Amino acid sequence: MDNLNSLKQLWQTADTESLPGAGEMLRMVKSFRNKKLAKKFTIIGMAFLLAVVLGVGVYFAHPKMLTSYLGAGLMIAACGVLLFTNVRSLKRFYKLDDCSNKEFIAFLEQTRLNQIYFYKNTQVVGLTLASAGLLFYVYELVYNNLFTLILTYGLTLIYVAILVFVVRPRIFKREARKLSDTMQRLKTLSKQIDEL
Amino acid sequence: MEFEEIYLKYSPKIYRVCMGYINDHEQARDLMQETFISVWQNLSTFKNQSHISTWIFRIATNKCLRALEVAKKMPKTELPVNLPAPHEESQHEKLAILYKCIATLEEIDRIIISLVLEDLPQAEIAAIVGLSNGNTRVRIYRIKEKLAFKLKAHGQFE
Repeated sequence: MDNLNSLKQLWQTADTESLPGAGEMLRMVKSFRNKKLAKKFTIIGMAFLLAVVLGVGVYFAHPKMLTSYLGAGLMIAACGVLLFTNVRSLKRFYKLDDCSNKEFIAFLEQTRLNQIYFYKNTQVVGLTLASAGLLFYVYELVYNNLFTLILTYGLTLIYVAILVFVVRPRIFKREARKLSDTMQRLKTLSKQIDEL
Repeated sequence: MEFEEIYLKYSPKIYRVCMGYINDHEQARDLMQETFISVWQNLSTFKNQSHISTWIFRIATNKCLRALEVAKKMPKTELPVNLPAPHEESQHEKLAILYKCIATLEEIDRIIISLVLEDLPQAEIAAIVGLSNGNTRVRIYRIKEKLAFKLKAHGQFE
């Protein structure tokens, strides 16, 4: 192309005057970062707080039955799973940017595998621990009244069933669609990089 | 190098590359901002293993390639070959045609040609995109040919 230099000159004429100034950018950067990470930090904070509340609650309330300790322990373990997964994904979030495009494609593939692993294993373990913990924990509070016992367990089981059979598959379906789009894109990009 | 200094030096370049990739001012601006958010977050951990420009352009190109919403909006079809007779376009119109022609290229090609037009050396482009120097050279040659064809079809640079 003989006109490459003309194209370069034309390229430079793009209007960049309307871009934010350095000071404005710095303000935007700070607020954007906080917004983007707020959700993750909220989940981490809530999981940590719940684990502390459960631990402190059990310590001070001195439950009489083993099921209460077992229930609290299982729920704290579920919080631990939630904490671990989110802190780990936070680390990955920061690692993302400084890699070549080929490394990035490999990273996407790893993310896809991680997400599948999360839905098939980690989430199942977390939900099982939390649900079993809840069922054990409430036993001491309701066991001496048959009506309350049936009502509490009935409602808890319905809640768990909705979570497992309705909410979780819906989220999985939505995430799977996103994954499939990402994979499609990944294949196109890989093809473009290897195509020579 | 301070963040403000980096921003002032590289933001127009990054904006132009993003604009070349996406051909939409608002989204190019968003991608540019996301790039500098990452630069700001990771500046303290940047270890000078590569040039700072390579590092920043790599972040920017990753942001572009990663944007799924962007991908969905990109044109899937080629520009028509038989276009109406050209008239004398303004600089602004010529630039719009250039963006339009780049937008019809494949994703990686859009990134590469934007970096070429930004006057980056081939070795740096290779480091940013993650291809070998030889592959990058061949690739650039092919993209230039494709782009020249598209521009000529649009009545440019005849």
